[in-house]
Amino acid sequence: MTPAQMEDYVDAAAAALELPLEAAHRPGVLQYLALAAGFADIVNAVPLSPHDDCAQGFLPVGPGEEAR
Amino acid sequence: MTSIAGLLGRGAGAMADAVRKREVSATELARASIERIAATDARINAFTAVTAERALKHAAAIDERIAAGGSGLSADLPLAGVPFAVKNLFDVAGLTTLAGSKIERDSAPASADAVLLQRLEAAGAVLVGALNMDEYAYGFTTENSHQGPVCNPHDQRRIAGGSSGGSAAAVAAGQVALSLGSDTNGSIRVPASLCGVFGLKPTFGRLPRTGTFPFVSSLDHLGPFARSSRDLALAYDAMQGPEARAGTTGEHDPGCAQRAAQPVIGLLPRGLDGLRIGVLGGYFSDNAQPEALAAVDRVARSLNVTESVELPWVEAGRAAAFLITNAEGGARHLENLRRRAADFEPLSRDRFLAGALLPAAWITQAQRVRRLYAQQVARVLGDFDVLLAPATPCTAPQIGTEWLEINGRRLPARASMGLLTQPISCIGLPVCTVPVWQAHPTMPVGVQVIAAPWREDLVLRVAAVLESAGVVSAPVAAL
Repeated sequence: MTPAQMEDYVDAAAAALELPLEAAHRPGVLQYLALAAGFADIVNAVPLSPHDDCAQGFLPVGPGEEAR
Repeated sequence: MTSIAGLLGRGAGAMADAVRKREVSATELARASIERIAATDARINAFTAVTAERALKHAAAIDERIAAGGSGLSADLPLAGVPFAVKNLFDVAGLTTLAGSKIERDSAPASADAVLLQRLEAAGAVLVGALNMDEYAYGFTTENSHQGPVCNPHDQRRIAGGSSGGSAAAVAAGQVALSLGSDTNGSIRVPASLCGVFGLKPTFGRLPRTGTFPFVSSLDHLGPFARSSRDLALAYDAMQGPEARAGTTGEHDPGCAQRAAQPVIGLLPRGLDGLRIGVLGGYFSDNAQPEALAAVDRVARSLNVTESVELPWVEAGRAAAFLITNAEGGARHLENLRRRAADFEPLSRDRFLAGALLPAAWITQAQRVRRLYAQQVARVLGDFDVLLAPATPCTAPQIGTEWLEINGRRLPARASMGLLTQPISCIGLPVCTVPVWQAHPTMPVGVQVIAAPWREDLVLRVAAVLESAGVVSAPVAAL
């Protein structure tokens, strides 16, 4: 993303999430989004096949196991 | 008769031995710990609460059990009378679980203790308080704007590291013999390194997190700090084992593997016993200053290790950990970010806000890369039982430091303290951080001793060997 695209993205994503961004916070948010975008470039450069799965797992919950 | 001052310097195992032999009482130790906190914490700022009344009550109960005698006390009370404290993201019944924040001050006090706290107390340890940390565990420096920074006990102008800064500093200051912290990207290993104490980050999923304030559930670990490998092992053994399932206690950690306990204390004397050990190079040497590399070299020479190895996809692993942390952390706090962003820690608020906005595709890719990276590293761990790496890029910087120079690159100090820990916790490997003192004129720096999943025994065995050889140690700070 270019800096201008990043600004547009922040505005659109914040609006979609109904997350108000104060003017004082905006430069820091843009700085950290740029940092994250750099890390995204690194993970997106890793060649994965459709069969490479996520690291996360899920455990089904049975009756009597509902609490948290 | 063993002196209390001497015991406070000797550590948890020695304290418990003395209490069981009735050379000193648990009550005397609790009082000594509370007095040490009162005398020193204005300079360290490790504690956010001191639970003196509770401590003295529990210590008296331990003393009654000891006085009643009977056999088997060693097995029943391996931590008899040992004063300990917990990072303030652990629930302590009657205290509000702050997680380092201003926002949680509005929350109701916890109604029960965290599971690991319960287990340490069942082993005879005595809780004396709750400890300062980075807000919501998102930081590596514990420069907490709400509570003030934790100062490094060995040089109070320097940071203690974070996010479990209070946990490491309290042990280094001799305020407690043992403490608990959490580690998502390095929050046990970074402060252990900078404060010169031992820290154990067990395998992801090993210890239940029930009753703690989460940061990033898919990466959060809990573990102990202490002044020796034996003390870590005693605490770790006391905390292992599956939880009672929901329906009996009502709560359990869905991220805990619920494995049967695999005690390690009896395995420490096995020594190296043919272990294949390598030093992590490449990324790990490129991102460390000379003193951190000297610490690894000193440890490697002591162990006669000459082989170097690199981890495949390590930068992608670190990037994955950053993205997952940023997104999951931001999403967890989204409601408060919407309503009261100004109440967040200024040093991490904008990072949380940015994390809440990350595209889902980045995070899904990061989780897929995490698994691929874990598979690649598992191949390396087929050739090496133990790997060594620096725990931090440098010794503790001054409080307020904004930038670090590493190999000619200028990096943001607060985010970069976890450069070398993040790629390891990303894939959940067990690590013991051991403190090395001779790599810098006055300050310690830690070395990560890393093994395959579920092999905490190996990292603690190697730590014990290094301790016996006098290569690593955790002296109480002169305060």
